[in-house]
Amino acid sequence: MSTTLERPATEPSGSGPSLRDRTFGRVTARGWRARLGYGLVVAALVYLIVMPLYRLQSRAFEDGARGYQAQYGRADTGDVIWTTVQLAVISLVIALVLGTILAYATSRLPARWSFLRVVPVLPIVMPAVANVVGWAFLLSPGPGYLNAAMRKLPWWDHLESGPIDIYTPTWIIILTGFGLTSFVYLFVSAGMSAISAEHLEAAQMSGSSQLGVFFRVVLPLLRPSLIYGGGVALLLGLGQFTGPLLLGSNTGVKVLTTEMYRRVSESPADFGAAAAAGAPLVILGLVVVLSQKLLLGDQKRFVTHGGKAFKSPPKRSWWAVTTVVVYGFVALLLPLIGLILVSLSPFWSSTISWDLLTFDNFRTLFQTRDIVDSIITSLVTASIAVAFCVPIGFVLATLLVRGRRYPVIRLVGDLVSALPLGIPAVIFGVGFLLTYTQPPFILYGTRTVIILVYIVLMIPFATRLQMTALLALGETYAEASATSGANSLVTNLRIILPLMRPAVLSAVALMFILLTHEFAASLLVRSATTQVMGTRLFDLWANGSYPLVAAMAIVMTVVTGLGVVVAMIIGGRNVLDNL
Amino acid sequence: MSQIRVDQLTKRFGSNTIVDELDLTIEEGEFVVLLGPSGCGKTTTLRCLAGLESPEGGTISFGDKVMYGGPKHADVPSHKRNIGMVFQSYALWPHMKVRDNIAYPLKVRRQKDALRSGAVEKAAEMVDCGALLDRYPSQLSGGQQQRVAVARGLVSEPDLVLFDEPLSNLDARLRDQVRTQIHQLHQRLGFSAVFVTHDQSEAFALGDRLAIMKGGKLEQFETPQRVFDEPASDYVAAFIGMGNKLELTRHADGWRTSNGDRIDLGTRSPERGGVEKVTARLRAADLRLHRAAEEVPQGSVLLHATVVTTEFGGRHHDVLVDVDGEKLTLQADTREHGSWLPTAPEGTPVVVSLRPSDVRVFGEDGWAIADSQSPLQVGDTAGANAR
Repeated sequence: MSTTLERPATEPSGSGPSLRDRTFGRVTARGWRARLGYGLVVAALVYLIVMPLYRLQSRAFEDGARGYQAQYGRADTGDVIWTTVQLAVISLVIALVLGTILAYATSRLPARWSFLRVVPVLPIVMPAVANVVGWAFLLSPGPGYLNAAMRKLPWWDHLESGPIDIYTPTWIIILTGFGLTSFVYLFVSAGMSAISAEHLEAAQMSGSSQLGVFFRVVLPLLRPSLIYGGGVALLLGLGQFTGPLLLGSNTGVKVLTTEMYRRVSESPADFGAAAAAGAPLVILGLVVVLSQKLLLGDQKRFVTHGGKAFKSPPKRSWWAVTTVVVYGFVALLLPLIGLILVSLSPFWSSTISWDLLTFDNFRTLFQTRDIVDSIITSLVTASIAVAFCVPIGFVLATLLVRGRRYPVIRLVGDLVSALPLGIPAVIFGVGFLLTYTQPPFILYGTRTVIILVYIVLMIPFATRLQMTALLALGETYAEASATSGANSLVTNLRIILPLMRPAVLSAVALMFILLTHEFAASLLVRSATTQVMGTRLFDLWANGSYPLVAAMAIVMTVVTGLGVVVAMIIGGRNVLDNL
Repeated sequence: MSQIRVDQLTKRFGSNTIVDELDLTIEEGEFVVLLGPSGCGKTTTLRCLAGLESPEGGTISFGDKVMYGGPKHADVPSHKRNIGMVFQSYALWPHMKVRDNIAYPLKVRRQKDALRSGAVEKAAEMVDCGALLDRYPSQLSGGQQQRVAVARGLVSEPDLVLFDEPLSNLDARLRDQVRTQIHQLHQRLGFSAVFVTHDQSEAFALGDRLAIMKGGKLEQFETPQRVFDEPASDYVAAFIGMGNKLELTRHADGWRTSNGDRIDLGTRSPERGGVEKVTARLRAADLRLHRAAEEVPQGSVLLHATVVTTEFGGRHHDVLVDVDGEKLTLQADTREHGSWLPTAPEGTPVVVSLRPSDVRVFGEDGWAIADSQSPLQVGDTAGANAR
């Protein structure tokens, strides 16, 4: 725990090294204890996060970089990279446009409709696998419900299948763009809340129309958050796995992440080639994380904005309500309807037999031993990982906020805690599979390896959310405790943690939600006997048991939804705002 | 516990020296006020005393216990220094009731006897917050919150109580109330205290001694009366309200202002040879306004001036006058001048008078030129510190 109580805000950067050294020469015993504690936590994380990446790369470079030759010597290499880039860039554009429109729309909702604010975030709550299969049920060229409905239209009534084929790259990209919209929305709406109402009113007084205000005032002011949110969305797009895997496998749509999965699931598994396939994503992730540190280095950007928030002007904007409602219907309700219909049907066909609807699929689901096991495994591994992440995140947050005395440990901690955000989960999955199927820790097939990879994936969230809360608390509460005679342990337990409770709870809720529908990393580290909900769903999908797939997707959504409800009850309604 | 000593304290942030080889002693039971504008190092000095900042050099000792520095390079953490601190932002923990806030120092210091004997209730009574014990801080007004914070700072009877601008967040009326309460408590309990403020009236009201700081050093460290009567430097004089400044030059027949009015500096006239220019400082309240030179009483010095602006201030008018390019402010009695002053146009010629004994004179180096009949004392513990 921290024992430093210095006030970083008052300390201008660039302190002279000689002075610093003199201070270090006098560090008391407590200073060394804290340094040791931080050092151990950061070292453990470095091992956990960096080791798998290192193992992968050393495997890829074995035998004269045989892994790279195997992966990039293939005939379709150009195609794979081109599809990956297309997927990332076009879906990013879609997400940027939709996310910005939605953020502007939610800021202009009439007061009575302000609850719609939560709609653009809700797709995050819906598991990605559930969303993807939901769309497949709607837009599959043959039995897709929407396709079937569209074939009733006079100009399409001659078609046997289609008109839309969700298994093509175009539609995979569109769906991915839809999925990324929520993330862009989060960044942009945060940026928008920093624009004061006066800016907009001033523009309107000067004679701008609503559209003019948007393009001349709002958009330029949003540029930093668009660039930042866009960067995150680009990384997410490059690391997209679920959509391409579930929809593109049979039609030969390949991206780098699905290549990684294929190399590892071939027999014999080729980790070298998989690592080589993931290398561009790792490098890009590293570049983004490092340049972010260089450009935005200061944590001040995490401080919540004070002052007058972006306020809807008195004029009610019905177009805003319409926009948000339409988005909610398309992005959330439609796939959910697809899922519900299939989950209640004995089989999936283009015509719905209303009189045959039944709960049999759910019954089958809960009577199948290993499916129930997978639900339990999901809940248990997610809970344990969260239980580890909260204290680790607290230590890291304290180190980042108050650890100016330990510049090296702090820098390493900062980078390590940001890394899992920049690198796709699939890569960690492959890395963990490689690392923990060999000595010193052979954990493959156990829940432990799932827990470990979950911890790695959640460290950024655990750290950043608690760091924001710590920064918002300021130093004075802790200083008042120290001058009252409390040591740092007592201060942390009796003052800081109770004051951070809302933030901790919302971090818990968020991590629980993200972990219960984790799919990409889980798919790689699971074994036949140790499955989580997402991977079991994938098996059902691969076997073509579509009604069970739909039922499973509904169960996953309900579990996550319950998580959200619990989170909102204990953590307040703003849980999702903290994302 | 006797004396608190600070020797050669130095604190730097990067290349900025915030506290510069500062010497300070606080006698047992003494209430010392650190006074100065923002950035002069007063809060940093306080935080070094609290152990919230680690200085780069110097020694801090409480009685015979070394808190920082010394032969063993001590750096005793805040929680082992037996201090109490009151913050500008109150810093009451919002998740604890008033009772728990006040009891906290006793609990974490394991002072069970005090807890049992009702020290918490007594401390709350002392600051008139006995009825608020079961409320949360958010249910209190700013003044109540700061009084509770004072109770929390005093409850465990610490060796030293530190106040970091505790009144700045309060509105004017509450500020006076809480100030009076702190003064009463100090008279009753006799704790040692260091109080940081940039408000001269707070400093005068509370301090046994005032330490006026400039650029991380002590400019003057004396009783409020001495500081008021004999500011050690032009800087101190300006800071404690002697806002009026006149540049004087030596002539064959004595000192004159730039427009030629003669000023008799009496016993304050510099005896040192070679002093040809001085700065005279005066309080606004020590200047009189007249419509004609004939009204000026015997023994007063007369200056010719013109009116620049007048502001109504109730019993008096605040008048800004121009004495050949130098602006002076003065207070003119409303009963005497209220009939003509508000309508006097800019440039109206007037006469301003002052008594030579009210003038304080400073040399070109900024330091006071002592009254030849009552030599000026500067920084009584270490004169070298001030010069």
